[in-house]
Order: sequence, then C-alpha cells, then structure tokens
Amino acid sequence: MARKMLIDGELDKPSEKDTHFDFDLFVIGAGSGGVRASRFSAQYGAKVGICELPFHPISTEVVGGVGGTCVIRGCVPKKILVYGASFGSELEDARSYGWELNERIDFNWKKLLHKKTEEIVRLNGIYKRLLANAGVKLFEGEGKVVGPNEVELIQLDGTKISYSAKHILIATGSRAQRPAIQGQELAITSDEALSLEELPKRAIVLGGGYIAVEFASIWCGMGATVDLFFRKELPLRGFDDEVRAVVARNLEGRGVNVHPRTTLTELVKTEDGIKVRTDHGEELLADVVLFATGRAPNTKRLNLEAVGVELDKNGAVKVDDYSRTNIPTIWAIGDVTDRMNLTPVALMEGTYFAKTVFGGQPSKPDYSNVPCAVFCIPPLSVVGLSEEQAIEQANGDVLVFTSTFNPMKNTISGRQEKTVMKLVVDGETDKVLGASMCGPDAAEIMQGIAVALKCGATKAQFDSTVGIHPSAAEEFVTMRSVTRRIAAGKPKTNL
Amino acid sequence: MAASLGTPKLSSPTFQNLCKKCKFPIKPFSSFSHYNKPNHFGSFNSFSHPPTRSYCRRFTTRADSTNVAEPPRKYDFDLFTIGAGSGGVRASRFAANFGASVAVCELPFATVSSDSTGGVGGTCVLRGCVPKKLLVYASKYSHEFEESCGFGWNYAAEPEHDWSTLIANKNAEIQRLAGIYKNTLKNAGVALIEGRGKIVDPHTVDVDGKIYSAKNILISVGGRPFIPDIPGSEYAIDSDAALDLPSKPRKIAIVGGGYIAVEFAGIFNGLKSDVHVFIRQKKVLRGFDEEIRDFVGEQMLLRGIEFHTEESPQAIIKSSDGSLSLKTNKGTIDGFSHIMFATGRKPNTKNLGLETVGVKLTENGAIEVDEYSQTSVPSIWAVGDVTDRINLTPVALMEGGALAKTLFANKPTKPEYSAVPSAVFSQPPIAQVGLTEEQAIKEYGDVDVHTANFRPLKATLSGLPDRIFMKLIVCAKTNKVIGLHMCGEDSPEIIQGFAVAVKAGLTKADFDATVGIHPTAAEELVTMRTPTRKVRRTPSEGKTDSEIKSTAGV
Repeated sequence: MARKMLIDGELDKPSEKDTHFDFDLFVIGAGSGGVRASRFSAQYGAKVGICELPFHPISTEVVGGVGGTCVIRGCVPKKILVYGASFGSELEDARSYGWELNERIDFNWKKLLHKKTEEIVRLNGIYKRLLANAGVKLFEGEGKVVGPNEVELIQLDGTKISYSAKHILIATGSRAQRPAIQGQELAITSDEALSLEELPKRAIVLGGGYIAVEFASIWCGMGATVDLFFRKELPLRGFDDEVRAVVARNLEGRGVNVHPRTTLTELVKTEDGIKVRTDHGEELLADVVLFATGRAPNTKRLNLEAVGVELDKNGAVKVDDYSRTNIPTIWAIGDVTDRMNLTPVALMEGTYFAKTVFGGQPSKPDYSNVPCAVFCIPPLSVVGLSEEQAIEQANGDVLVFTSTFNPMKNTISGRQEKTVMKLVVDGETDKVLGASMCGPDAAEIMQGIAVALKCGATKAQFDSTVGIHPSAAEEFVTMRSVTRRIAAGKPKTNL
Repeated sequence: MAASLGTPKLSSPTFQNLCKKCKFPIKPFSSFSHYNKPNHFGSFNSFSHPPTRSYCRRFTTRADSTNVAEPPRKYDFDLFTIGAGSGGVRASRFAANFGASVAVCELPFATVSSDSTGGVGGTCVLRGCVPKKLLVYASKYSHEFEESCGFGWNYAAEPEHDWSTLIANKNAEIQRLAGIYKNTLKNAGVALIEGRGKIVDPHTVDVDGKIYSAKNILISVGGRPFIPDIPGSEYAIDSDAALDLPSKPRKIAIVGGGYIAVEFAGIFNGLKSDVHVFIRQKKVLRGFDEEIRDFVGEQMLLRGIEFHTEESPQAIIKSSDGSLSLKTNKGTIDGFSHIMFATGRKPNTKNLGLETVGVKLTENGAIEVDEYSQTSVPSIWAVGDVTDRINLTPVALMEGGALAKTLFANKPTKPEYSAVPSAVFSQPPIAQVGLTEEQAIKEYGDVDVHTANFRPLKATLSGLPDRIFMKLIVCAKTNKVIGLHMCGEDSPEIIQGFAVAVKAGLTKADFDATVGIHPTAAEELVTMRTPTRKVRRTPSEGKTDSEIKSTAGV
C-alpha cells in the first residue's frame, strides 16, 4: 500500500521531476526487457534514455548491441540454425514420399551464417526504430551506475557523460560462462557457436541444459559428428523426467553420441584438432568444443557495489516482487536478476515495471504456468508442473495421462521416433497442473495449452474440446484413460 | 478379414432361418439363454464377449424388459451398426465396452467408394483425412526445398517427384490402418460383417441376404462426393479418385471452392502439376471468416495456383488427343489431363431401406436426428456425415461416443457443437474455432477484433512471400474470446490448445496473462495488445477506427 501511494505521488508531480532529472528513467541494456520497459514507460509519458554497447554477434564486456541476447545471440539466431538443421532430416523423409533427390545434397554453412547475420542486423535496426518511434533516447556506450539517481555513460570515443534519472533500470542480461577446465580457452560458448567461420565436422558439447541439446541437434542435423557430455543421468534437469528420457532417446536416434554422467577434464590443442579427455579417461578429437555450462548475470562492470545494490551469491541483482532493488530508485529485470531466464518473462517484467512505476498500477509479474520450449530436434515444450513437481506439491492424488505415438508423417517416412505427450492432473480438483510434449511442433502446440492451464482449466474441459483431425495436438484433448494414479500421502521430506 | 472373424458360420442359412422364424428366443427365461446362444454358432465365439460380461449384460436387458407390457423380445444384437467409419466404429466399440453385444457391417475395401465398395475405417481413413494429409505432407516438400535454399541447402538437380512411390506407400498405410480398425473392433468384441447393410424393419438389418435382429440400429454410412450432372461429367474425377490416380496430373482443373478443392489444389501444386481452380464465387471457402478467405486465396496464388473466379462449369469436352477442356460461363480452357470436381458431398442414404421403415430425411437426403442422434424411428439412430450436422471426423467420434453413453451407459448424452475447432489443410493451412467475425457481429453486435499479419522468421530467411494471418474476436461486453482464426504454417497444431481455452470460455485478459513461448508463431496469439478495430452496434459507445489506430501507434 505504501508503495502504491509513493508511486501515485510520483505520477502526480510530473513538473517536479522534469526540473530535477535529465530523465524519468534511464535504462542500462537494450535487450528484450530493457527495450520493452523503455517503450512502455515512454508510452506512459515518461522521458526515457537507454544505453547499449556497440553491436557485435559475440558479446564481451564492451560489445553487445540493441536487441540483446535474444535477437543477436540467443533465441532468434538459434532458431534460424534449428530451421537450417531441420531440413537435413526433412530431406531424408522426403524420399519415402516419392521425391527423387541426389545422393549428395550440399549444405553451405557460410551462406546460412551470412543470412543469419543479415537477419539479426535487420532486427537490430527494427529494435532501434521501435525505441526511436516511442521517443526513447538511445545512447551507444557503456553505462555505469554512479549514484541512486545518476548514470555515467562511457561513449565509444572514451568520453564520459553523466545523466541524472529519477529511476534507473538495470537490464544488462547475462553471458555464457566457461567452467574451469584445463585448456578451457580452446573451447567456445554459444555466442561463438552461432558465428563459427566453418561448420565443424566433429563437435563436442559439454552441458545438459537446453543450450547444449539445441546445439547438439543443430550440428547433428547439419551432418557433423556430435558427442554430448553431461553430468546427470539425463539431460535437461528440471524438466519432467519422462520427457527428459525421450529427448535423450531422440538425440541418440538422430545420431548424437550421448555420454551421460561424464564430464571433460582437459582440452589440448593438437595438429588434428582439439583433444578432449573425459573423467572416464576417454580421449576424443574435435574441431569444436562447446561449453554450454550455464550463464552468469552481467553485473561486474556496472559499479553496483559503489551505490550499494545487493547481489545474490551468483552475482544476480536482488529484487523484490516488483523488480525493485534494495535502492528504491534502482530496478532490475531480465536475466540480470536470474529469476526465470526467458525472453517473454523479461518482456513481462519490463511491462510490469513500466506499469508499476509510470502507469500508476503496481503490478507483480506472475511466474506460474510460464510455458517454455527447448528447440532440440524434435522440440520439447512444457507448461506448469512436471510429474515430479506435481507429486511433491499436490495434496491429493495425482493423475498422469500419457500418450506415446508415431506421428502420421513417420508412417510413410519410416522415421523411428515417437512423439510423447503428458498431462498431469490434480485428482481432487480435476485441474490440469502440467503439460509436456516432445515431438514435432511441440512449441507451437503448447502455447494454446498454456492459456488453458494459466486459467485453471480442468481435465474435463480438455476432454470436452473436440479434436482437430488429423493433427498431433488433438492427442491432448483425447487422452481418455489415466496412465497412472499416484496416491496422496506419499512421504514428503519436510513434514 | 471378416472371414477370419468367423462370419461364415454366422451367415449359414440355418442361422438366417432361425433368426427369421424365431422372433423370440427358444428359452427366453433361461438365465443362460444368451450366454448359450452364441455357442450354438460355434465360431461366433471368436468375437463374443467373455462369459461373465455377456451374462451381466443380458441380465440387465431382461430386467428392463420385465417392466414392459410387451413380452420381452430377444435380439441377435443390442446394437447393429451399418457403416464402420469413424462414427460407427467409435459407437460400436464404446457400446461394447459398456457391455452391449454389437455387430457392425461394412462394404468391402476399395480406395474409391461406391454403392458396393467402402472398407473399415471409412472416409477418414481410406479416402479423406488420412490419405489427404499424407499427400499434403508429400506435396509440402517442394515448398520446403525452396525454403531450404535460403538456409544454405543446395540441390544439384531440381528434385523430381515420383507419384507411384507415394501412392503405393499411401495405400500400404491406409491398409495398415484399416487393419488396425478391424483389430480394435475385434478387441472390443464387436462382430464385423462384410457386406451391404439394409434396414428391413425397425429392428432388422439385411446384409446381402442375411438377416440380423437388433434392439437398436445405428446408421453411420457417411457421405460420398457429388458431381453435378453436366455434359461430359463422366470424364471428371472426384476426391476419391484424385487420391488414387494411376499417374500425376500434368494440368488439372479443380472445380469448387470448398476445403476439398483448396486442399487438392495445394497438393497438386506442391507436386508440380499445373493447377487451375474454378470457383463460382469471388473467393474460396464460403462460410469461413472473410479475411481468412482473402488471405488464403492470396497465399495460394503466390504459390502458383491459378484461380478462375465467378466461373461455373457447363461442360467437359474430350478432344481427340485425350486431353480435356472445361467449358464455363466465361469461356473454354483446354489441355487438362484431369478435371476434378470438389463440388460437395452427399449423405449415403440411398438403398438403405430408410423409406420402408419411415426414417425421415432432410431435403438434402441426410437423416434427420434429434439432439441424441435418434431418428424418427425410435430404435434407429444415426451419427456422422450421414446426418450432415458438422461433417468432421472428431465430431462423428463425439456423436458416436455420446450415443454409446445414451444407449448403454444410462447417461443420455447430447453431443456439444459449440466451439468445435476445425482445420483446412490447404497450403498454407487454416484452423479456426468459434465464430467468424461476421457471425460474431451478427450474434453479439459489439466485438473487438485483434489481427496480426506478419512474416514468420522462417520466411525472412527463405525469402519466400509466406505470411501468417491471425485473428482473435472478443465479445466487447464479456471480454470472452468468441472466435479465433489462423492461416499459416502449423495453424492446425497451434489452434488445438487455444480451442480448449475458447471452449472453456476464457477471456482476452486470460490470453494476455499467458506468457509467450519464444520464438514461435503461436506466441502472437497471446501478445495481441491493441484491437485492430472495435465494432460497435451503437456508435456512441465505441471509438471509430481512426481513433483506435492512433492509440495503437506503439
């Protein structure tokens, strides 16, 4: 309540802020979250400045670019490569459908890379234009926080300018990290992987997260030999176990050499490529070694300690439910806060920030039932709880409905790859608690399911929906019989 | 297949006579009479129920009949289904699962349907949804080859398509599916009888001279393509034939603007035939949202399909070189290797004996049914395309499932026709759920319309002119989403989940509260912030279009 009054008060005195500050809002970092927050704040009438590092496909402390990770070295270029790689298997499938193709179909990595760069440059331009159209002033350079209401901008020529702002928003995102393995400098991160000069013939991927499985799929689809190493039994920790197993099986089915419970201990440069040693004593040679072992928030050079902005132990900016740091005039959104590191979540946080601070409507982002996708080939998409989470959280019985089927397209192509779908339902309320899918079009299919889950749809409501025939998605509304029921009262550790 | 189920014994003359003569069972009140009865006919066992289930069921039947004044009548089956397509198989299986004794009859398998050919699986499996979608998959590849060039793939030679490989693989698949359907019937304990079923009286069906009695008769014989009677119509093919042609058309005329016409136009265009579509109206897909009609027409045109609008066929002329000419009200176009009519389908109600028992038909020849799928004759029911309600496989399944519940689970159930989603597998495909904008305005008056028309990520790389169109129609008063339409890649897969939301009566605010999945096309549907237009019955209540546009200047 106190907060609301404070914010309303701020809104009521626009003339005062004009006289005191250069900007109502200064945003550091023009990625998904920063651009969204800036534009929406400007639409509420705020005077907004934003700064961003110069454009470069590979990010460092001093280069970045308007659009941020998502547009320049994340979602967008990744998906472009996934599209490119998917054609490989499509072409194989086409033969059974009667298409006569040459034995040797050429894939030109350089051409794809060039087109990818063209596209991200185009999007970078669009983002700049969006900011300009919204009346947001864009500065190129490195932003630092020098006071609760002051930002210092180091311009490209090295000169420094200071701007005062009523509110400062930190939206600097995150960067790929390298583990401390001997010879780690020989490896690359996802940034470089999206901009390689040559397509590797032999690629090694270290990591079990979404970035690791996506690149394994990409390179495998383009014809490379891929070895994927991760510490756990299955990739994609945190996702539904059953679906994780399906992803592992599909990766193997498409030719990725999967090495669970294995990590890398040493990288050595040789004439023949990079020699990699595993903790099982194996040795492999590769043209490229990708470390997909996590990302860290970009908080190092922001001077946050000086103004007393608290960070968590991973270096993420600590914020409250409204994205406010411990300094009342400084806020943070997106990956730099390490909450849920997804573009649409950063957009949500940016939108709610603008609403809270300049729209007179304090609003907390809602992190329940946020859907997400992993663009391995075929993709995985989920919303809500995994079976394991549901059992952990539910009071009553949990009903699990699964469907494993051969997609119609495979009946003729002969591809041996099952699609798997799963609904997790609360036995007492009939509410669908979670949905997961691994198979073609999973990400597109899950979006609508997410709307239903967000609003507490019941299994009965799923059942009453007529299917779209023939589609894969119709399986979600035709799961009639329960696969298993997990009884309530399972011992929980913290009781 | 039917033979292996043991039907020969069933159809022995002795059995027929027995059935004809004995309206009542020999030992009507013997508790074992029904359990024993199948045993009289040896091989019947191969599809009879386990004794316990059979016994239980009969007990219920008997208990029911004791309440009736008439002496209880015994029937060969609780349910006799004519037609083993989607609706018939579903109703039969579910009825059997509820404990009913069920038989279903179906014509012998053929890829092209006629008065004497059909096959288990029906239109959907043999000459509709499934083979159509397989051909759509096949034909889409040519577009994918083009797309892939933008992603760095090169082809030394232009990929050529071999029609016979595709058709052979397609036929192997539909035969496999027909086999699966037969197995599901068998596993459910449903007796499958091959032959043409004809209703003799309200409780009797004649299958090629063999007589079966049933407490209830279900008609689920579906529909068949209809070709108008114009000179030379014998040279035309319908969709049945188009799915099983001996060779790929070089140049094909497709007459009609409905979903079948646009789907086949996409198929043959993708397989690189020269495709001409003749429609009576200005646009394809009457009944669909007007903007969708415009959009899909444009996209098909961009992919190389030639449209001849406001042209009605008048005659087909075969020339000496074997090629066909289509004469329309506007002129004559020559040189077609094939002329396909996709000019509608008609219910298969001829020669079913419906007139004799007094089952009422609509003027289109469809069977008239009430909300429970009951015809004018109380013991006769009908589901699926033969009733011409919403002619979709999943709707026939719903009707079949509801009927089984009504008849054999003591739960009178009406199929629910609101917010039934559907798709057109044109290229690009369409999917929709709920009302069109035109229907919404008519029904609700005040509606907000959100649209998006964009170039998907894939197209920016491929350089092809592919776009996606989406439309969300919101009731201004309740904020409920009452219609959702999409045309573009993956539409059918995308719309299914949203159909759950629309069916559940969710609001635009609910859509907005959902976080997007990035980067997808589907996320656009949860990120439509500003209405494209607000349609108001009373102008004073709403803003005009121009006002909206200025506020939308994000």
